[in-house]
Amino acid sequence: MSCVTVTNMAEHNMTQSGEKFYNEILSPSELFAAQSRSHKLPVRGQKDFYPNDSEEQRQRLEQSLEEHWSLISEERVERLGNLVKATWIPSEKIVELQTPAGKFWQTMGFSARGKQYLHPEEALHLMECGSVQVFYQDLPLSIQDGYERFLSSSTVSLLQYQVFAHLKRLGYVVHRFDPSSEPSSYARQLNLPQSCNKERRQLKRKRSASPTPSTKSTSQAETQKESTADIMEEEKCSHEEDESKKLPDSDLKTCSETSDTQTGPADSGGGRTWWMADISGDQSEHQPASGSPRWHFSSISFPDLGSSERHPSCLFPPDPSLLPGSLAVGVCDITPWRSRINLRQVKMSAKEQKREMDRGRRRWDINRDKEVRRCRNWAEYHKLQARREGRRKGQPEHLWNREVTPLHDPSQPIPTAELLETISVSKSSNLLEGASRVKASDQWRIRFNVYQPDTVADFKKTNPGRPYCRMCVCSFSDPVPDLRAIKQMAVQSGDIQVICAVVDYGDISFYAFKDFQLPTDVYP
Amino acid sequence: MQAEFRAPRRRTRVYEEYEAPLPVSRDAEEKSHFRAEFINQHVLVHHPDHIHKIHNQGYFGKGILSRARPDHSISDQWEQHEGLMLPVVTQSRYEELLSWAGSVLYAQGLDEDAVNQTLLGLSQPVDVEDVRREMEGGENGQRREKEVKEEEPGTEGGVCPQTKRPLDESKVEPETKRCNRSESQDLNPVCDLSPSSDQESDSNHDPTSDSDSDSDCDPDPLVPGPGFVLVSDGEEVREVRRCPLTLTEYLQLSLEEAFFLVYSLGCLSVYLNQEPLSILQLWQTFRSLRPDFISSYAAYQHFRSKGWVPKTGGGAKYGVDLMLYRKGPPFYHASYSVVIERVDDEFRGSGLRPFSWCSLAALNRITSNVSKELMFCYIIYPANLSEVELDSPACLSKLKVQEVIVSRWVSSRERAEQDNI
Repeated sequence: MSCVTVTNMAEHNMTQSGEKFYNEILSPSELFAAQSRSHKLPVRGQKDFYPNDSEEQRQRLEQSLEEHWSLISEERVERLGNLVKATWIPSEKIVELQTPAGKFWQTMGFSARGKQYLHPEEALHLMECGSVQVFYQDLPLSIQDGYERFLSSSTVSLLQYQVFAHLKRLGYVVHRFDPSSEPSSYARQLNLPQSCNKERRQLKRKRSASPTPSTKSTSQAETQKESTADIMEEEKCSHEEDESKKLPDSDLKTCSETSDTQTGPADSGGGRTWWMADISGDQSEHQPASGSPRWHFSSISFPDLGSSERHPSCLFPPDPSLLPGSLAVGVCDITPWRSRINLRQVKMSAKEQKREMDRGRRRWDINRDKEVRRCRNWAEYHKLQARREGRRKGQPEHLWNREVTPLHDPSQPIPTAELLETISVSKSSNLLEGASRVKASDQWRIRFNVYQPDTVADFKKTNPGRPYCRMCVCSFSDPVPDLRAIKQMAVQSGDIQVICAVVDYGDISFYAFKDFQLPTDVYP
Repeated sequence: MQAEFRAPRRRTRVYEEYEAPLPVSRDAEEKSHFRAEFINQHVLVHHPDHIHKIHNQGYFGKGILSRARPDHSISDQWEQHEGLMLPVVTQSRYEELLSWAGSVLYAQGLDEDAVNQTLLGLSQPVDVEDVRREMEGGENGQRREKEVKEEEPGTEGGVCPQTKRPLDESKVEPETKRCNRSESQDLNPVCDLSPSSDQESDSNHDPTSDSDSDSDCDPDPLVPGPGFVLVSDGEEVREVRRCPLTLTEYLQLSLEEAFFLVYSLGCLSVYLNQEPLSILQLWQTFRSLRPDFISSYAAYQHFRSKGWVPKTGGGAKYGVDLMLYRKGPPFYHASYSVVIERVDDEFRGSGLRPFSWCSLAALNRITSNVSKELMFCYIIYPANLSEVELDSPACLSKLKVQEVIVSRWVSSRERAEQDNI
């Protein structure tokens, strides 16, 4: 639609250049015409399946084409006051808003250095929607300009933009994917809130005496831009955690205050390590007189030692000044504890069970066997053994006396579950196995995080939560991802599903390649 | 992220009973060892008992005259006639069968007179009483016959294909009669044996099983076993006559199924020219017949080890290599269509079947139209596997299997749902 509008505007330019300057502002009569034009879409009737060269069919076709053409060539009319004005900054490839943002601000854009900014793809989409007017060097940009300037390999390519716009039109919230701003596995273990920014802001407010370095005060800006800014943010986050460990030093005097600071708003409470909360608990015991400490237990998060994620092998000791009296706590090695939890019942394979049985069998005295007692000499005993051996039927020579023998001997029946276990010779693999060896390629890089539309109401840009899925974009003529590509996508994404958006000249299909382990079915 | 497991869909009408997951005995008394022949690059099972066990316990193989289980019969229409259940053939069909029998006898070298006499003798209407008498007589003869049969399973197999192949016949095994559908038939080759008592005793191969099952569910109509048909001339008249030909059907096993029975379960032996093949020989033979045998066998064994029933031959119907069934085709609809891919240590595919988005989209559409899920099964080969190692089934333990489900996501539909795809 946008392309046709562009040509229309271009034509408008040319025809009117001789008469007057290109004027976007409509005269009253034009305005009235625009407002009162029909808002109905052309109705699609029954399909005809083959051309029959009749006049009626030709007329219907013509009418239908006319309707479509007039619809597409319609010019968009917007209230000038409704349009948010913005400027394009090519050096940083972002769009800076000049007038305050509208409703779209809830899910799009970001703040930095006290101003509001939009990513180029967001700006282009809003231009197409008619919400934003972007200027460059004091001249408004057309849609065509937008496509040409905003989309490039360093920002977002055309294919990726098509996917972005498609999803936005359906109501999804789409953000750029930034692998460095994804929480690390350690942060996820501690259930740290995703964003550092909010927490930092609140901490700054609540701290009484803050032995903070000067960098803190200047870093108020919550930039969500990629590149160095993010990395700096991360460093500040971790830096700040160290700070917070030292914090109660200054607040040891009043226990309640301490508890407040430590466990106040949920985020900041979660931002500290769990040692803090524990030790403060001790403190509260020792000083009951200071009043009941307001522990917000829902906000105290402990590291989940039982989870299967990889843990650091030890927990660091807390600051000794936090500990009461002469209590000294060293580094806590959690590996022996982890080995004692989440125990599963050991399922022994057929071989192991056989070994167990053999062990039991040896305790049985062979002299108790009547048949053995009847043997008078070694020769007879050998004959007995041979007979017993012969009674084991069903071991054909061509199968059992060669280099390779069958996995299972049908004359030794075992239950079905064990049999299935014996048969499973090849190992199952999962997507993340060996995926770290696979080098990341540009083609299968994840581009966007997509959030469900019904989360829009309470969507917070600074803490969007887990996305519904992540998108890769490719063209229809590109090759299908092989296992290597699927592993690359899985590694980047973690535990959120990855969907490939395949663009076929504007038509987009989505395919997901998901890891699967077929469950074992033992029947009966 | 993991794909969700969807429970398999049960079929609405299930005609069969589940016997066992695999054709190996679970108690010590039963002995199960089966025999198959390797003829013309096909693995065929001839012995009716073996066919029955192999197919019913695990759904291996396919009858060569039937869609799935070997259930070919001389006629689809059966009727009751004076207390006997007989297949009905039309007069023209009967004459056709007679002429075929005649040409077989000619081929055996009998002269014209002898042939005509035999045919005349065959086509006499038979009294129902004679049929019953033969049935009972056949029981005694049947036991004798069974022993003979066990000693020389090869001869029948050997002789029949020779004479039968030009006429496109094959052996069918007798099956226990089910209440709703009666199917048992074991008609013998008239041509092989001289027409007399041998033929009669032969012709009643397993009437005990028939009559037993008859008495179990339906006391009235007795199936006189093989060899008798009801000839109709288009209207009401029915005559009991001997069937001049017998049709026996074999069970054909695919290469993966045969190797699985031999190697994983140890319950089958494959004979080539009366010599049993060892596992290594079988592996090498199959590898030479099919270049990607290792990958397809690894996938087959993997799915069997999970307790599912993979059926090959999905290619012509669904465009994939395997169809996975829970318990077996008669009970559930297939849950997964599997495409087997081979990848190396770097997870790069050599592309047994190279896909483009176009063909993948088409395959996905077909699969979802038949309510199945498309699964890619990647067989991961380690880097250091030499040709020597590949030449023995021991290399299977070095391979890894990765399953990936491919599904299409519809952006406009998923808006309202919070669930997975």
